[in-house]
Amino acid sequence: MTVNDQAVLDVAEMSPKIAKWSRTLDALIVIVAAFLIMSVSHIGFLLLAGDWDFFIDWKDRQYWVVITPVVTIMMAAAFQSIFWKLFRLPIGATASVLLFLLSVWIVRYHSWEGLAYFPLSLVVPATCLVGAILLDAILVLTRSWLVTGAVGGVLFGLIFLPSNWVYIAPYFQPVENMGQMTSLADWIGYTYPRAGTPEYIRIIERGTLRTFQDSAMWVSAFFSGFICVFMYVAFWWLGSVACSIKYVPVGIKMKEAFGSNNAAKKVAA
Amino acid sequence: MILKFKKIILACLAVAAFLISVFLPQTAAAHGERATEPSIRTRSIHWYDLTWSTEKIAVNDTVTMQGKFRLMNDWPDAVAQPSLVFLSTGGPSAVLTRVETYINGLPAQQSFKKMELGRDYDFKIVMKGRVPGNWHLHPVMNVHNAGPIIGPGAWVTVEGNMADFKAPIKTMQGLQIDDTENYGVARAQMWQAGYALVAVAWLLWWLRRPLLISRWRVLQKGREDLLVTRADDKVAAGVVVLLLVVVIVGYIKINAEFPQLVPLQGSTVYTEPLPEDTGGVAIKLKRAEYDVPGRSMRLSVEMTNNTDQPLGIGEFTTANLRFINKMLPTAVAAIDPKYPKELMPANGLVVDSNKPLAPGEKRMVMLDTTDVAWEVERLVSFLSNVDSRTGGLIFFYDPLGKRYISEVSGSILPVFKKTI
Repeated sequence: MTVNDQAVLDVAEMSPKIAKWSRTLDALIVIVAAFLIMSVSHIGFLLLAGDWDFFIDWKDRQYWVVITPVVTIMMAAAFQSIFWKLFRLPIGATASVLLFLLSVWIVRYHSWEGLAYFPLSLVVPATCLVGAILLDAILVLTRSWLVTGAVGGVLFGLIFLPSNWVYIAPYFQPVENMGQMTSLADWIGYTYPRAGTPEYIRIIERGTLRTFQDSAMWVSAFFSGFICVFMYVAFWWLGSVACSIKYVPVGIKMKEAFGSNNAAKKVAA
Repeated sequence: MILKFKKIILACLAVAAFLISVFLPQTAAAHGERATEPSIRTRSIHWYDLTWSTEKIAVNDTVTMQGKFRLMNDWPDAVAQPSLVFLSTGGPSAVLTRVETYINGLPAQQSFKKMELGRDYDFKIVMKGRVPGNWHLHPVMNVHNAGPIIGPGAWVTVEGNMADFKAPIKTMQGLQIDDTENYGVARAQMWQAGYALVAVAWLLWWLRRPLLISRWRVLQKGREDLLVTRADDKVAAGVVVLLLVVVIVGYIKINAEFPQLVPLQGSTVYTEPLPEDTGGVAIKLKRAEYDVPGRSMRLSVEMTNNTDQPLGIGEFTTANLRFINKMLPTAVAAIDPKYPKELMPANGLVVDSNKPLAPGEKRMVMLDTTDVAWEVERLVSFLSNVDSRTGGLIFFYDPLGKRYISEVSGSILPVFKKTI
């Protein structure tokens, strides 16, 4: 135990015995919270981003680059808010994205490859882990959620592309398929059929973010960073609300209805 | 005694858990071909002349499925028209891999647009065996905003070992990729494991200290300085610098390693339909009824032979069922012996008069298709459909064996005793 840790326990007025029990409670809560964070982060992402990060042939230069970080930062910001406001622990974003990544790989192996016979190359996931660690680290450095949102939010969106491109890029090598040039990602998606996902259902490369010739990815990345700022603020606030205790004022009639306002009854009598 | 009883219960639970884990997660053999509404199956796409090159393949061998399809003029109003379609296969995921697909000889890797109602197209699908098993192989036309419209299916047995499956490809820069199922996965996992290592170190840096209750109490007492220290600042700054350097260097290196990359390809393709049959037989459906207890669909049809040859009525096909007129040898001879028997009802097509339609002749003809297949294929729910109409294709043959195809469609009445 460091000097600082002892100082924390002293200020918290914890005897060694209480500190030991408190530590046991910490372990139990961390384990339970890990499952909670994992499932909430995963479900949130599935509902809002879904296909763009399921399949390699959905990872386009526009929507994948924008949508994946924008959706991921929601739960990251909410959990960061909860852990920071209650405990000054700058781990919410990292824990959210790390546990989400872990659960994604479990599902990829178990369900996609194991039960549905899809090859892993078709369902390689991306991750916002670098952005999440940066988000927590910037919160530590600035001690300000507002500055973290403004700087970290932009960085979260921006860093997603290069931090994933280091392993996604090889899937965009050109190959020839039936006399047409296509990307390896397209070829993998074509070769391993998904009965319920026709080609036209992909929403790729549509819209106006392509006006900078071949720089569409970085335009999308900057746009993603811009949107991430607002998402961060919104979900930081949501996390703050979630960890605040609020009481709803109850009127005399409501108390009477539940028989708990004896004083009111006496006054009425 | 109690201990023995507990052991028996535990043993039963173990056996039950084993049986559930073995038998419960089974691959679906059927995939909804009978669940689609009859109005869609009888009046949207009619697949014909389908062949499957083989019934049995080894892993890495191919099976070719080809034929034609007609987009019906009387396309149901409740279903989006085929302005954007994608040719695929029905079946449980990637047990067979797609090697080639074509519509009218054009590669069908992408979707096709502006398909024309009332016209025919041909298609070809080449699939390769990957997972051993007995798989039902259908052609499927996915119609944008309407969903999949499934064609006739045949069972294809894949034998061998999945581990032997190969789908190699060579990139246009000459890189040979033999294992496309796992290509790039190790690289992704290595990078993500590296990121995760930093993340775990970051979490441990914080979690190793007195945590929840102690930190909460310290925070309540306003001693935030004890919770986030100067050492934490230094670690945070180090993590930021480390990650930025790693990512920037990695990004530069990957772009140097793969300088020529292409984006996902998302264009759509247009193709002219097959040449239209001119002449043939003009059809007017006067009355159609489905005899519920008799499991019989009867069509009263006015036919006009516009050709210069006498024509026999050979086949009525609808909803992937082929009702063959066994009294017409040309029609019987046109059947591929390997065609799935379950899709050719035994009673076939009964025509009130098998006298050929003379050139220019106009005649009322009664077509009777009585078979349990109407129930088995769940085609009688047009009694509860939003538009109680039916349809199909009628095949005519001249003495030389030339075939003419006419569409028939119209309202259908459910009846409980014969009226026509």
